[in-house]
Amino acid sequence: MMKLWSRIKSTARNLFHKQQVETQLDDEIRACVDMMTHERIAAGMSPSEARRTALAEFGGVEQVKQAVRGHRAGVALERLWQDVHYGLRQLWRNAGFTVTVILTLALSIGANTAIFSIVNALMLKSLPYPHPERMGTIYTRVTGVRSWDERHKVTYEQWALLRDNVPALTSAVSSSRTSGVNLEAGSHVQYLQAGRISAHYLDVLGIQPALGRNFSDVEDRSHGPNAAILSYSLWRNTFGSDPNVLGHAVLLKGAPYTIIGILPEGTSTPLNAGIYTALQLGPEGEGGGTNSEAITRLRDGATWQEADAEINRAWSHRAHRYELDDDPSAQVTYHSVPLQKGETATLRPQVLALMLAAGFILLIACANLAGLTLVRVLRRSPEFATRLALGASRWQIQKQLWIENLLLAFLGGMAGITVGFVALRGLLQLLPEHFLPVATVPLDGRVLAFTLFISLLTSVLFGMFPALAMRKFRLRSAIASHSATGGDPLHLRQALIVSEVALTVVLLAASGLLIRTLIHLQTLPAGFDPAGVIIAKASLDDEQYHNAATFRKLLSQSTSSMRQIPGVQSAAVGLSLPYERALLNGVTISDGRAAGQHGMTDEVYVTPDYFAALQIAVLTGRSFTDADGPDTQHVAIINQTFARKYFHGADAVGHYINNDTRIVGVVEDVPIAPGLDATAPLAGEETMYIPAAQADAQLLALVHVFFQPSWIVRAAAPVEGLTAQMQRALASADPNLPFSGFYNMRDLMAKTLAMQRVEVALLGTMAALALLLSTIGIFALVANIVAQKTREIGIRIALGSSIRQAMVHVGAPGVRASTLGLILGLILCAGALRAMRSALYGVGVYDVPTILTVMLVLASVTIIATVVPTLRIAGTNPASTLREE
Amino acid sequence: MSSKQTNLLQGTLDLLILKALGPGELHGLGISRRIEQITRGTFLVKPGSLFPALHRMEEAGWLSSFWGESENNRRAKFYRLTKAGKSQLQVETEQWTRVAVAMTNALTAT
Repeated sequence: MMKLWSRIKSTARNLFHKQQVETQLDDEIRACVDMMTHERIAAGMSPSEARRTALAEFGGVEQVKQAVRGHRAGVALERLWQDVHYGLRQLWRNAGFTVTVILTLALSIGANTAIFSIVNALMLKSLPYPHPERMGTIYTRVTGVRSWDERHKVTYEQWALLRDNVPALTSAVSSSRTSGVNLEAGSHVQYLQAGRISAHYLDVLGIQPALGRNFSDVEDRSHGPNAAILSYSLWRNTFGSDPNVLGHAVLLKGAPYTIIGILPEGTSTPLNAGIYTALQLGPEGEGGGTNSEAITRLRDGATWQEADAEINRAWSHRAHRYELDDDPSAQVTYHSVPLQKGETATLRPQVLALMLAAGFILLIACANLAGLTLVRVLRRSPEFATRLALGASRWQIQKQLWIENLLLAFLGGMAGITVGFVALRGLLQLLPEHFLPVATVPLDGRVLAFTLFISLLTSVLFGMFPALAMRKFRLRSAIASHSATGGDPLHLRQALIVSEVALTVVLLAASGLLIRTLIHLQTLPAGFDPAGVIIAKASLDDEQYHNAATFRKLLSQSTSSMRQIPGVQSAAVGLSLPYERALLNGVTISDGRAAGQHGMTDEVYVTPDYFAALQIAVLTGRSFTDADGPDTQHVAIINQTFARKYFHGADAVGHYINNDTRIVGVVEDVPIAPGLDATAPLAGEETMYIPAAQADAQLLALVHVFFQPSWIVRAAAPVEGLTAQMQRALASADPNLPFSGFYNMRDLMAKTLAMQRVEVALLGTMAALALLLSTIGIFALVANIVAQKTREIGIRIALGSSIRQAMVHVGAPGVRASTLGLILGLILCAGALRAMRSALYGVGVYDVPTILTVMLVLASVTIIATVVPTLRIAGTNPASTLREE
Repeated sequence: MSSKQTNLLQGTLDLLILKALGPGELHGLGISRRIEQITRGTFLVKPGSLFPALHRMEEAGWLSSFWGESENNRRAKFYRLTKAGKSQLQVETEQWTRVAVAMTNALTAT
């Protein structure tokens, strides 16, 4: 202990008071020599003779000092510092090289840091709840004609069985997403996102309200008392952190709700809502279908095996096993899955693909840097030769090289963290709200450790080749000529270019396919005219609008006021719009060839002007009119897909569905986010339109929980202050009904295609980065050949070669490497791109236009990257280059 | 000189320095002379070995140093044993004695 402390003290003194330590050593040794001289004089020698013999006996003042220094504490540290210092000076002197390397590293490490922080937030970081490993959700595994294994939403029957017959778990359910509602507190009206949760939902999450309590079983019962729990931010922003709001009522969805609890600051639920109400699921209505998400927490002492056995026992004896509807002979089992996996399952493949792409970028960067550092080591041959000749060991030179690589990697890593941070902010801006199922994506210790690790990895990867080259370093030839390592590094560099171009081709082709997919989806035949349409949404999840007459009055008053706005051509209301997901409902065909056939269809209530406002063509029959009222014949309009499916192209007008509903028209298909068969993000799907005036109270109460209807206004030319006038028009019908926002059709399409847009943006950026790095790589290769062969080119030109021939001669290795890389990349694509099949719509995996574009792009950048550096040859003066050496 | 011999000599040198400083403080040259005297001229410690050893042992905390006046009124750096140095002398003496006896026994065995 004592010894260690003494060494630390000495190390510190040797490093930080170097001057003083040196002076003392000087003094001590001089004194010793003086004393020896003095002894000799005392013995009768002449002073000069005495000094000479004393020095001889002492054996070299400098050598003794050096020996003392060599044994000092901290000497290794000091030498390391000297190497680092020297390395930094080297990097400073070659600023161009250093900046290129650090920028390359910053971009590639930054891309990896940003993507990894998302991987970290989604998959590695624990959920922000106590004992996250005890939290789960339930997957349904079906083995039969169509097999699948995924999280499935549950019915009331399943939820009741889970709650009552699975003692190993504390279970809860919630609505699968939040919905927009209106909150009135005093004179203040606010539109916000509400989440509906069952009793014990917060217990499963392990959240205790900061004030008040959770929902009780009584409040969660169907038709139970209305109660609400506020999020902390709503409590702070709207209620001014007033603790007395507990027990008071607020007007939510037009009905009074008693505030019974306030969530603690900084907590979030998977729903991430502003306000929570009790789900109040019952066997009828919403609870009759699979509409709720289940979450579970393992009780103390229970195991997941026990829980799974109990779930299977409880759920296998249900009256209605909807899983068997399509295939009665299928095997159905249930199993628990960690909640985090369940919440992130849909994003996992995409995120992992991005991480792979980021890995490619890192490899490409390393290949580039390996080439650059290799050239640099060769340029420094004279320096190494001199050092070797002066007695440095090969190990010392190797050490120096590695220290410089580590310095570069470290600096690049620091820059990479900065770039990664900025890139991550930009990326999160790009994502639509609530796109990621986590509240924050932090740059935490694990991300920093990852960045440090890949920085070290890159330094090893790009430092390896120069280090290997050094081993073949021959002192004799190095001194004789200026460049001299064994073997020709050109082939090694070409191989590096081939591999990076190959990876670039894969990334380019992959992002090309995604771009083609996005273009395909965005240019689907619209079937309506999106230009000049403004949309406003409002929540009708409100007690008073469960009354069909009040609802009808609101729609007719507000749309007729909107039609009064100068410049407005038509105004209408619809439950859902093109590009959106629609309500799914059962339908039965009542007559004709398909009589008795039952199926699911999208169902949309619309006001008479809906088809005119969106300019959806009525193909046969008629549109709705004001005469289609609650007390007249029930009518419906179907789209072409519906007509094709059930009436096989024959005229559907005049047929009946659901017993008493008469089909009066057939309209053009419009692309929507399909709910029946979600094989593509946008598609046409069987749809049935009904007049809003014929929607009954039961339907209105149910659909407005999930859907916010849209007011559609079409204007021929832009109207000044249109949105404010629309809001006034709505207020004339109901002064307490705020619009949640205004959109155009492009916004709605963008929202539905958010995933595709994000994929294109991210992978496209990566591909562009890869292309940039490869271009730099080819450019550097050719530029270096030009620099090395100046003399040779001079001779060639002097001997009668044309400048063009010289340029071809020098540029050829770059073109050859790029071509080989392209071929190798296309071979890789053949295998790798098949994994993308599930993300592609309207375009095949082997898409000729994409591949041709990739080849064209690569050919152009290759030509630019080889021609630009060879242009220097044109300015070469043979006479002066020959004189140079 | 092989590294084995160096180690042996280094261990010996440390013990000799500790022993030389046992009675009291000495400067570098004094230590060298004293070792020569107590080994009856067997070991002549060169400055090239002595000074690195002194600095190393000081850093290890066995010796402490101070500047003082030599016998003929010259400024010189003096060394003396610290408490740790004294116990180190004892430990090393015992160790050496054990090795020496064992070696003697081994070499005189028939």
